[in-house]
Amino acid sequence: MGKEECKTMLDALNKVTACYRHLVIALGSTSDSQNLREELKRTRKKAQELAVANRTKLTALLKDKTISKDDRAEYERLWVLFSSSMELLEVDMKRSLEIGQDFPLKVPTRHLIQTGMTGSTTTVAARAMSVQNMKYEADSNIDTADLRDLQTEISQVSQMMEEMEMKVQVAPWAVEAKQEAGAELKSNMSVGNSSVGVISICEEEPKEEEGGGGSSKGFASICAVIVFFIIVFAALILGYLVINMS
Amino acid sequence: MTIRNAIRDHGQRYRPRMACLQKAEKVLLEMQDPRTGVKSQPQRLVITTIPHAITGEDIIAWLADRFQIDTQEARSFGSMLVALGYIYPLQDHKRLLIKPDASLYRFQTPYFWPTQQWPVEDTDYAIYLAKRNIRKKGILELHEQEQYNRLHKWMNHKWDFIVMQAKEQYRAAKERKKPDRVVFECQERAYWVVHRPPPGTVSAMDYGLERRIDPNADETKTPDFYERIMIFTQQSIMRPRVKSSVSIGALVKYCTTYNSHDPFLSKCLPSNPWLTDDVTFWTLNRLNVEVPSKMRVERWTFSFGELLSDPRGRDDFRLFLKKEFSSENLAFWESCEDLKWGTAATMREKAEQIYKTFLARGAPRWINIDGKTMEITVNGLRHPHRYVLDAAQTHIYMLMKKDKYGRYIKSPVFKDTMKKAICPEEHKFSDAQLEQNAKNRRPSLSPIILRQQELEQRAKMAANAPVDITQLCRFTTPVPHLAVYSGITDSPSLAFPAPSPACPSPISVALDSTSACERRLEADERKPEALGPVRGPVSKSRMALSLRRLLKRGCTPATMFASLSPKCHSAAGTSSRIQPISPDEPSQAPPRRIGNFFQIKVDIPPECRIYPIESEDEDEANRSASRGGVGTKEIICPWESLTPHNGTG
Repeated sequence: MGKEECKTMLDALNKVTACYRHLVIALGSTSDSQNLREELKRTRKKAQELAVANRTKLTALLKDKTISKDDRAEYERLWVLFSSSMELLEVDMKRSLEIGQDFPLKVPTRHLIQTGMTGSTTTVAARAMSVQNMKYEADSNIDTADLRDLQTEISQVSQMMEEMEMKVQVAPWAVEAKQEAGAELKSNMSVGNSSVGVISICEEEPKEEEGGGGSSKGFASICAVIVFFIIVFAALILGYLVINMS
Repeated sequence: MTIRNAIRDHGQRYRPRMACLQKAEKVLLEMQDPRTGVKSQPQRLVITTIPHAITGEDIIAWLADRFQIDTQEARSFGSMLVALGYIYPLQDHKRLLIKPDASLYRFQTPYFWPTQQWPVEDTDYAIYLAKRNIRKKGILELHEQEQYNRLHKWMNHKWDFIVMQAKEQYRAAKERKKPDRVVFECQERAYWVVHRPPPGTVSAMDYGLERRIDPNADETKTPDFYERIMIFTQQSIMRPRVKSSVSIGALVKYCTTYNSHDPFLSKCLPSNPWLTDDVTFWTLNRLNVEVPSKMRVERWTFSFGELLSDPRGRDDFRLFLKKEFSSENLAFWESCEDLKWGTAATMREKAEQIYKTFLARGAPRWINIDGKTMEITVNGLRHPHRYVLDAAQTHIYMLMKKDKYGRYIKSPVFKDTMKKAICPEEHKFSDAQLEQNAKNRRPSLSPIILRQQELEQRAKMAANAPVDITQLCRFTTPVPHLAVYSGITDSPSLAFPAPSPACPSPISVALDSTSACERRLEADERKPEALGPVRGPVSKSRMALSLRRLLKRGCTPATMFASLSPKCHSAAGTSSRIQPISPDEPSQAPPRRIGNFFQIKVDIPPECRIYPIESEDEDEANRSASRGGVGTKEIICPWESLTPHNGTG
């Protein structure tokens, strides 16, 4: 169904946005390097592809007038998710442009900030690109060459955001969130190095059902506890009677 | 094309320029030089070793060396860098200052630097709190918990996104190696300590109001731009100039006078609340404290303006003037201030009230201003506006300043106050006590409550003000219920309705009060005079009059007869008679509650038309006959005579 596809794609976009932010944070520090710039470029491209795909899908769904009210509310919620992701992405792209311009790699008099981070960000990028290992093939002047591309991409993204705001009539403040406060604690965080493979749908299920299942799970546990106490109480009464009789 | 604006802010709000940020960034970059920069060392944690930690003393030494300044200044500079968020402490992360010992610091990554054009977003903060929630398994600090709840309420529509993004970022962070993960957590935490400071941390990021124009944008050179520059330079040329010796002399005098009173430059007794978190200073210097402090009293001697602007000083001055029997000056000045600063709706009646109380001839608290000023003021009062009494107010101000102020400073009242003034001892807090104070900080009273208290006090003062016996005129008495600084109250026999919502017209008010006064006089005097009419114009008999009124107004007989009896006055009846103010129909309002059954002859000149006892028809008829005269006859405001009123006839 359209909704599931949408959710999958949104999750992918979300993941790429998060990884992109991690990469941008490392920019300009001692963990900055040629590789990082390339990682940024590729993650960015992937994010843009996902963004365009998401946008076409969601606009198609929202333009459809024949959907029910609940469906429409759901699509609006997804739209808000999408636009928030895009906002974060846009800001991160602009900042990476700025920091990239301020910290060119090849100039020897320009020193990188000694932040204490020295490791590489390969694994983060690999997670973003959903591959096992990253291959680096860019040439040495990637930092300057990339910046021009980055500028055009930023303007594209800004344009897309403007179009989105104008064309799609969704009131973001009217959307109600499904997650309640503290929802982030409920998902299973025991997943260590999460699967770097293809985005699997089964990863989504626990997140989605949490909202509905959580409450019923709690209720069941409360019932069990109550029953336990009733039984203990009954046992105590019986014991007391037995002692009294003897 | 410059990609400048941070967010698509259609409200066009820009943060004001913080020039220090770019300069600090340059300094930071210089510090990074491996040869000439700050020496770094590895930080040893339990399992891992993280490089690039710097000690506080190294930073201070480097700064002192680079800028050729002394250690104290280098320390303040270093603390500023920490407070802005360019360097963060590794131990004691909530206190943003440099300690000149071996405590460790680290540089912040450029993404987390404070910059002009990237405002700190609440969305990011919400994501950070959610991540922290995951990491701490639900145990957040108190202020973080509060912020979390608040953001959950206000950003509810984005909450799904925030949760999703928080989880993803948490997972992405786990992809990095352990030392980098630790560093990243420290970095993020330091960033949010600077931009969302926990209680007890002073924030350096208060940048004031947001601007409408981007301070970093270049202004395009349109003709309008040049025109503005031309106007500016023309006005600069035309501005009157003062000799620099004079202006510098004034500055020097100001500085020497106020030097010891400035909390930045000298000690603040008992202690500066901003530094020690102890509010004794503010409680001792409240607006209406009983015993002022010595410094405050000393300030009153600097100039008259200082005395008046301090409410406690003003009280003292008022006391002094009362003893000298010239308190009407201060009362007039205060009521002018009230007019200037009051709401536009009350302006008209306030102006009228002030006129009646202070300016009219025969007014109860008549102030002494020269004829020209009086003429200007009275003319202005035809169309009262906020600054109509400015000339008179200035005159009275200068009068008080030249004459009374000098006498006040030499008076026993002031000397008494100065003797009683307290000089609190300085606090000496230890570090532990300072921390305790920081924890015990409480917000002060809400300004709404303070304003209510102020209004209550003002009303109380207006009601209980001492009677100025020398100023009480037998023709008029003021009306206290408007709670303007009339300051005089009448004897208890007058039970005026406490602030009646429908304000009577000034005529009725005047007539009200005059009749009341007259009644009191008559009650006091009780001259057994003939029952003949008081004077010519009063020809009709009272009963006929009242009967006519009865038929006209349809009033209940009870109140009618009640109003006829000499001493009683039904306040309820009065207020029912007094109709809402309508400036073009003042004649409808005058009450008839004061009726004199007995015609008591009182020794009042015949042309004095203050008595409302006869019907208002006669009032109207006679009023149209004898206009003009600023208050020689009855106290009608001269501008009232200009408004044509329809007779009720």
